[in-house]
Amino acid sequence: MGYDSTMSNTTEDSNQGIDKQHLASPIKNLVDKYQLVPEFLKVRGLVKQHLDSFNYFVRTEIKKIVRANQEIRSTLDPNIYLRYRDVHIGEPSMVFDAVTEKLCPQKCRLSDRTYAAPIYVTIDYTTGSHGQTSVSTKKNVIIGRMPIMLRSSCCVLYGKDEDELARLGECPLDPGGYFVIKGTEKVILIQEQLSKNRIIIDTDKKGSVQASVTSSTEKTKSKTIIKMEKEKVYLELNMFKTKVPIMVVMKAMGMESDQEVVQMIGRDPRFSALLLPSIEECADLKLYTQHQALEFLESDKMLKMPSYSTGPVEKGARALSILRDIFLANVPVHQHNFRKKCIYVAVMMRRMMEAILNKDAMDDKDYVGNKRLELSGQLLSLLFEDLFKTMNDEARRTIDTLLARPSRSSRLDISQYIVKDSITMGLERTLSTGNWDVKRFRMHRKGMTQVVARLSYIGSLGHMTKISPQFEKSRKVSGPRALQPSQFGMLCPCDTPEGEACGLVKNLALMTHVTTDEDERPIMSLCYCLGVEDLEQLSPEELHMPTSYLITLNGLILGKHKSPQRFANAMRRLRRAGKIGEFVSIFVNEKQRCVYIASDGGRVCRPLVIADKGVSRIKEHHMRELRDGVRDFDSFLKDGLIEYLDVNEENNTLIALYEKEATPETTHIEIEPFTILGVCAGLIPYPHHNQSPRNTYQCAMGKQAMGNIAYNQLNRMDGLLYLLVYPQRPLLTTRTIELVGYDKLGAGQNATVAVMSYSGYDIEDAIVMNKSSLDRGFGRCIVMKKYSAICQKYENGTSDRIIKPQRQGLEADKMQILDDDGMAAPGETIRNHDIYINKESPTVTRTPVTSPMGLPDSAYKSSRQTYKGPEGETAVVDRVALYSDRNNNLSIKFMIRHTRRPEIGDKFSSRHGQKGVCGTIVQQEDFPFSERGICPDLIMNPHGFPSRMTVGKMIELLGSKAGVSCGRFHYGSAFGEPSGHADTVDAISETLVTHGFSYNGKDFIYSGITGMPLQAYIFMGPIYYQKLKHMVLDKMHARGSGPRVMMTRQPTEGRSRNGGLRVGEMERDCLIAYGASMLIYERLMISSDPFEVQVCRKCGLLGYYNYKLKTGICSMCKNGENISTMKLPYACKLLFQELQSMNIVPRLKLAEA
Amino acid sequence: MEGVSYQRFPKIKIREVKDDFMKFELRETDASIANALRRIMIAEVPTIAIDLVEIEVNSSVLNDEFISHRLGLVPLTSERAMSMRFSRDCDACDGDGQCEYCSVEFYLRVKCLSDQTLDVTSKDLLSSDHTVVPVDYSDTSSSFDNTPNKGIIIVKLRRGQELRLRAIARKGIGKDHAKWSPAATVTFMYEPEIYINEDMMESLTLEEKTELVESSPTKVFGIDPENKQETGKCMIVGNPSTSPGIPLCGSRWPNTIWVYASMVIVVDPEAYTYDDEVLKKAEAMGKPGVVEIHAKEDSFIFTVETTGAVKASQLVLNAIEVLKQKLDAVRLSDDTVEADDQFGELGAHMRGG
Repeated sequence: MGYDSTMSNTTEDSNQGIDKQHLASPIKNLVDKYQLVPEFLKVRGLVKQHLDSFNYFVRTEIKKIVRANQEIRSTLDPNIYLRYRDVHIGEPSMVFDAVTEKLCPQKCRLSDRTYAAPIYVTIDYTTGSHGQTSVSTKKNVIIGRMPIMLRSSCCVLYGKDEDELARLGECPLDPGGYFVIKGTEKVILIQEQLSKNRIIIDTDKKGSVQASVTSSTEKTKSKTIIKMEKEKVYLELNMFKTKVPIMVVMKAMGMESDQEVVQMIGRDPRFSALLLPSIEECADLKLYTQHQALEFLESDKMLKMPSYSTGPVEKGARALSILRDIFLANVPVHQHNFRKKCIYVAVMMRRMMEAILNKDAMDDKDYVGNKRLELSGQLLSLLFEDLFKTMNDEARRTIDTLLARPSRSSRLDISQYIVKDSITMGLERTLSTGNWDVKRFRMHRKGMTQVVARLSYIGSLGHMTKISPQFEKSRKVSGPRALQPSQFGMLCPCDTPEGEACGLVKNLALMTHVTTDEDERPIMSLCYCLGVEDLEQLSPEELHMPTSYLITLNGLILGKHKSPQRFANAMRRLRRAGKIGEFVSIFVNEKQRCVYIASDGGRVCRPLVIADKGVSRIKEHHMRELRDGVRDFDSFLKDGLIEYLDVNEENNTLIALYEKEATPETTHIEIEPFTILGVCAGLIPYPHHNQSPRNTYQCAMGKQAMGNIAYNQLNRMDGLLYLLVYPQRPLLTTRTIELVGYDKLGAGQNATVAVMSYSGYDIEDAIVMNKSSLDRGFGRCIVMKKYSAICQKYENGTSDRIIKPQRQGLEADKMQILDDDGMAAPGETIRNHDIYINKESPTVTRTPVTSPMGLPDSAYKSSRQTYKGPEGETAVVDRVALYSDRNNNLSIKFMIRHTRRPEIGDKFSSRHGQKGVCGTIVQQEDFPFSERGICPDLIMNPHGFPSRMTVGKMIELLGSKAGVSCGRFHYGSAFGEPSGHADTVDAISETLVTHGFSYNGKDFIYSGITGMPLQAYIFMGPIYYQKLKHMVLDKMHARGSGPRVMMTRQPTEGRSRNGGLRVGEMERDCLIAYGASMLIYERLMISSDPFEVQVCRKCGLLGYYNYKLKTGICSMCKNGENISTMKLPYACKLLFQELQSMNIVPRLKLAEA
Repeated sequence: MEGVSYQRFPKIKIREVKDDFMKFELRETDASIANALRRIMIAEVPTIAIDLVEIEVNSSVLNDEFISHRLGLVPLTSERAMSMRFSRDCDACDGDGQCEYCSVEFYLRVKCLSDQTLDVTSKDLLSSDHTVVPVDYSDTSSSFDNTPNKGIIIVKLRRGQELRLRAIARKGIGKDHAKWSPAATVTFMYEPEIYINEDMMESLTLEEKTELVESSPTKVFGIDPENKQETGKCMIVGNPSTSPGIPLCGSRWPNTIWVYASMVIVVDPEAYTYDDEVLKKAEAMGKPGVVEIHAKEDSFIFTVETTGAVKASQLVLNAIEVLKQKLDAVRLSDDTVEADDQFGELGAHMRGG
């Protein structure tokens, strides 16, 4: 019970409670490893994956990109060049009127700017031309501005403590991990993808087995597929028009001997039998040598014509270069030595054939180990690379055109041409639209960024851990949606949306870490040192010897090893000793006889305690040191007590949940089981007692709950802000709640709930509320909405102006709330149709005017803005902010505040996916009461329980009740009972009994109406209730007569347009079935779009009414003899006319009714 | 019907009275009267509470509505309330409710000038009428800590922030808004009648007795205090001839274990919460009827706690007064049966029912 929580007032009773639990725990007292979780989060933070990824990009990746594209050299004069020497990112700042101004995120949010820092480069470049060149160096040249992720190493918030953050106007609980682009906060969602550079065996649409590799190197990206079709093996590569027989490819790569190929695949006769048809096919094509094979590949029917012609090249050279650079691009070829690539192909074929012979060898695409998460850093680096290359190409082109020009006046200074806005604009545009259009990498992805959900604190946290799927959501597949066993501990099993994205959009679990790329060269040389036999030295025969395993590093075959287990153990020991990166994974795959070493980025992994023969390496003294502050999480890692395991390596482990359950085979022990849940699901008390969909529902609803969103919530200018007036901390907390800070920024209130039926206004999950509780502030909320206005400057020099309000006259009462400056004053009550800014715009904005600043009043037209809100409500102008935006226009933001108390129809929910609307509000004296005088705040119908099976909610009620009576917050962490992070029902019942309650949480209750006791004992106690953002006031809508659509003359649609409520087809069907013909007539015509038409009985067409002659006239017959007047829906008349316009004549035949 | 009288004479016995707490017995009446009294105390005894706030300056972190709401909930001493007028029926002012007969004016002018956070409390509210002031809790005997009582906190100010406002308090009842409710807790319970069947109880062992006694979550039963010393030791092993007492477990272990006799007695019948735990326990022990509990249908034990707006004793008196007024209204309506026929349901509304 070492945990010392923030609660200071633990009473004696609570100590007693703890002692009881303490005594109840087994004698072999376990080391409480819980403290590691907060320590982990302290070191890593809640959104560390984003920050790590961005930091890696800023520190390493950007330098790599610049180094790879370091030279701009003129194609005309190779002496003229520019070389980038170094790149770094400065402090976030912006240039304003030629003055560099430092930026902080809050300033950017308020003034709609981008939080970006300059990208500085050091360049060597030549000046002059035509032989008279001289080289000079320039330092700190800005090539663009990089949007900066908040709290990353470039951010001003980096490493700041709470006070400093507060001074910068920032909430200390805000996790960062997002960008501020033009004043809006944008997250780059984590993208889920299939692993790159790995062999994946699966089936295509036709059901034939294929081995595919998506290669991705710094230079190229390609997809190689080797598939078995009609018993023959083919290669599919999009550089070739058709599929290519694999033996041709092998021969083209210099593997001329068929025997060698067979040997490389393995001498198993089954493999040879499978390969035989392919060998025969190659022989039928009469291709025997490398030269013949290359020529075959070069032929027009095989090779796609390149879009650009690079002049005559050697025969076969193009095919060879494709094989070298594009085919399996991840396997490097040194000096035309294709041997490695051949072996790689052979391994691919072998794995494919294994899968044909044994379906179990097929890879699972949904397996998390085969997935990589792409984070903001990687995505930004793609984008930056593309923009950087584009900028360089453009600079080169400009120089070439300049050089081509015969005469120039000034000396050619190449450094002038790289400073462009293209990088800044490109980054900003992509981040604000979320459309990644990188043509160079054939990447067109939409919706990569989203505006950070700021509805609730938990919502924004959950947004940072959201993983968006690789597939489009419309796919009707069940496989990727299902919960994968390999997700355990990495991805939250509860937090996924309902509906179309169900199971595809996932969320990270609490302790998940996503790796970044790590240099593989040291690992490679280390492998060779540890006895990996190099491929080069191996004969094909030796490759698949039954005594040895292949060693693979990031998908690249390094060689083989005779004793793989010993090798793996040695590697792991080195990792634990910190000699290689802690995120390197070593995975021995017995089935594939391979050892996979991975150091690439995007793998998900999580920390686990290492155990030797089932004995945890973490001992009590380690934890004591941690509590004393001598140790931190990293030192645990450094001392080899804890290690990170990725999904693949987890397959080589036996993980015990607790030390007491460990057996001698156990290799690892979990830190705490509640960390398998994510941030959103972590709020649920006793989630392991609930039916699982209920937890999923709560994950969705927790994001809609009102509360406090941040410490700086009142200084922010969010478009829509929902705040609770008196938010509380849940009486029944979980460890996750404390870790993420939900106890500081709560979104709900502890309501005393009686589970009983009352008044009949509680059917279908409706709840009955106590009016006095509402009077005292329960469920009271503040809704703030932003209205903005811009004082635009126009191209002819004129600009909008804000003028003094009229104090007399017609409009005066609509301008009551305006100050003399023409803007609404803070604190004023604003009503529907009130003007909040008295703005005028010039009538002429394009053509030049003589004196733009001194226009007469007549040259302005009013463009005042009026407030539209619910009638009869009193909203208040909360704040008015003036600032100049990016274009140096005066911008004004108004925050309009509205305080609301709950009313009938407002939506509430507990933390167990049990939502309900307020059905009725009842006076306190009518509410039931107990003889202690306890009167519930809320009554919930017991029918909510049987079908929902939310036992967790009942335990929450019990636990909270015990909590209020003994003065100690109770815990309900997921699966926390064995480790003491969740109070057991037994302990809770005991506490209840000591405080004079029944052990089962039921109370004896009197009716408030009659004063007689109720027939049953009532389950009553506090439950944390959330008020959800859906409120009646924003939704209720009714209309009598009102606006109509111009074209059809039918009532408009939708609440915002004060539209009518449609009698739809099904409603119409009901009325027909019932026979209410007059009602149909009234609804569909009289109340909708009645129209009087003149119909010619003779020709059946519509005529018109001549008001002079006062008769109807048929325009077809040119007379008014056979005209009848009748009523028609206007839409019907419109249909007739539209039909006529397309040469169809609708004729009405009238008969006497 | 005519002439039949159901008149009763309920009796009140006061057990405990403090300023904001009172416990009394109400006897010889039924639940309707008891509940009527409770309901009136909660919802219809008038008090004075801040109802209108005019904010001059508010640079605090809380917005105007927030502060107004908090001010409204501050209890004000309302001894005057019964004699005051509702501002809606006030003749002295034309319904604006700002005259001395129906309202009390308050001022709050606070500015924080120091670096320390300044707590604005109910003590900063300056009343225009010395009889209507924010309730002062400092003189209650229960103040065990020696920290200076500062009243109810309204808002905290930091340096430079200011709050300046004028508030009007009016008379009202809890039915309209909970801020006018003088009652913090008003509750009653039926007085339980507990019979212990002595003969059956005798047949229980001491363990069983203690089990029975402890089965109640509240301390209703106890073991006879006369034999407390002995029963505390619970069991004494000794010679039957030398040890006095009644052998209870003699049948099972003759001559070895001797236990002192002890009586199960009712310590505090009112602690019983009608939880049936003892009855269930008795049944589980195979001795149903060893304890019998009934609720006395005609006597109630009331617990009244007030917010401090009126004294608890005064609250009860006021409640009875209000109840009398309401009964008068009913009596008066008896004369106007014709009006009832004429207006139907509306008649009841016209009389303010």
